[in-house]
Amino acid sequence: MNIAPRYLGRGSWLARRDPRVLLISLAFFVFTVIQVWDPRILVGLALIAALYYRSAGIPFRAVRIQWAYVLFFISFVVIMNTLITGGELRGTTEDQLHIFFRLPLINTPISAESVTYAVVQYMRFLSMAAVGLPIAYAIAPGDIGPAFARLGVPYKFAYGLELTFRFVPSLAADMQTTIDAQRLRGYEWEKRGRTPIGKVTRTIPLLTPVTINAIVGAEDTIDAMDLRGFGTQRRTWLRQLAFDPTDRVVVVGFGILLAAVTALSFSGLTQLWVPSQLIDLAG
Amino acid sequence: MSTTVMHEEHRGAMWEVTTRVIVYAAIGAALYGVAAVFSFLIPGTANVSVRPAFALVTFFGFAFGPIVGLFTGFVGNAIADQISGWGLLTSWNWSLANGFAGLLAGVFGVSLARMFPNRIILAAIAAALAVVIGFLFVFTDIWLGTADDVSVAFSANYLPVITTNLIAAVILTPILVAAWDPIRRSMGR
Repeated sequence: MNIAPRYLGRGSWLARRDPRVLLISLAFFVFTVIQVWDPRILVGLALIAALYYRSAGIPFRAVRIQWAYVLFFISFVVIMNTLITGGELRGTTEDQLHIFFRLPLINTPISAESVTYAVVQYMRFLSMAAVGLPIAYAIAPGDIGPAFARLGVPYKFAYGLELTFRFVPSLAADMQTTIDAQRLRGYEWEKRGRTPIGKVTRTIPLLTPVTINAIVGAEDTIDAMDLRGFGTQRRTWLRQLAFDPTDRVVVVGFGILLAAVTALSFSGLTQLWVPSQLIDLAG
Repeated sequence: MSTTVMHEEHRGAMWEVTTRVIVYAAIGAALYGVAAVFSFLIPGTANVSVRPAFALVTFFGFAFGPIVGLFTGFVGNAIADQISGWGLLTSWNWSLANGFAGLLAGVFGVSLARMFPNRIILAAIAAALAVVIGFLFVFTDIWLGTADDVSVAFSANYLPVITTNLIAAVILTPILVAAWDPIRRSMGR
């Protein structure tokens, strides 16, 4: 079980940036995108996201499972919203819709508005995923702690974040060892219980030993940190971070984007816009 | 020392950020991120999956305090999302909801301790309350646009997540507490 994020973007343009650039850019971009429902603006944002993702140099082959998961999850969000709201999306009522046809049995209208809404949801989430994914693959593992600390996260919690990322590979290895050990005793993860409760109880032989072992094993880490005076006073980081001019341009660019979209949003210019061609198709 | 004084001291100590808190929080978050890959669909539903690893959030909150619970839920869920490809902050409100559930498990673990002296029952009740209240935060999906209105947020987001997380938390949290408590006593913690 190798689920630890790998440094796939090593050496790329984005990986050469200060790691804070990736975190700040993502935060700015997420708050930009969630304000927009107009597909014309979203095309621009998707293009920016695609260029940004491309600059991370992450080979598609290595992350195609992640992208498949993203597509599956977005499809679920779109389908659930369409089915449960009965096509009445973003404050529109059924008499305002331009309906193509109705779904059999449940009678949900498929309209120019719901099709546009679905496309918009895909664009929103794919853009956010494209800007978010490089954090896992284009930040050097040792830069996580200093990056969060320099962003103002209290140093104890910044160190906690660094520890978390360091623990992931070793705990994944422990999990695999436990699965193998339990298999030797006749446990088969693949043969799950029939009911949801049965399925949950089937995980007890896995989760319990891994969790208790991890907690008991943490004593060594705690002692080592205490012996080095962790928490007694503010600490500095061995890794020094500094923005270069390119980093500043990227951060300011995403900041301007957020400010511009926020201004448009307050002016009511980011609402759902339906192409007239689609409306004409509905007749 | 009277029971009341000890209880008040425990309440004050649960907000302290010590080395132990940081390390347990990091272990909890990493474990949740790793173990979250084990999830399965409930038969007969569209996409309701049980994530047994969620019980780690309520367990770490209950056993090690609200700060550990908050960190385990928030960071652990963000890491699980990042590993799956969804992105660290794409569903930041869901990560916060997980964090709030962990935080509340720690708070209820202390505040309800007098009412339920049995630790196993207390763990189940604290975990259940934490899930039901903590995940109210997913209604922010309406503001973020993932859910179109309250009915979608309730039926597609809140109800499935609390159903599946209640199953995991109410069953597994007491089991983890039952496994951990004797070890904790033997270690003198």
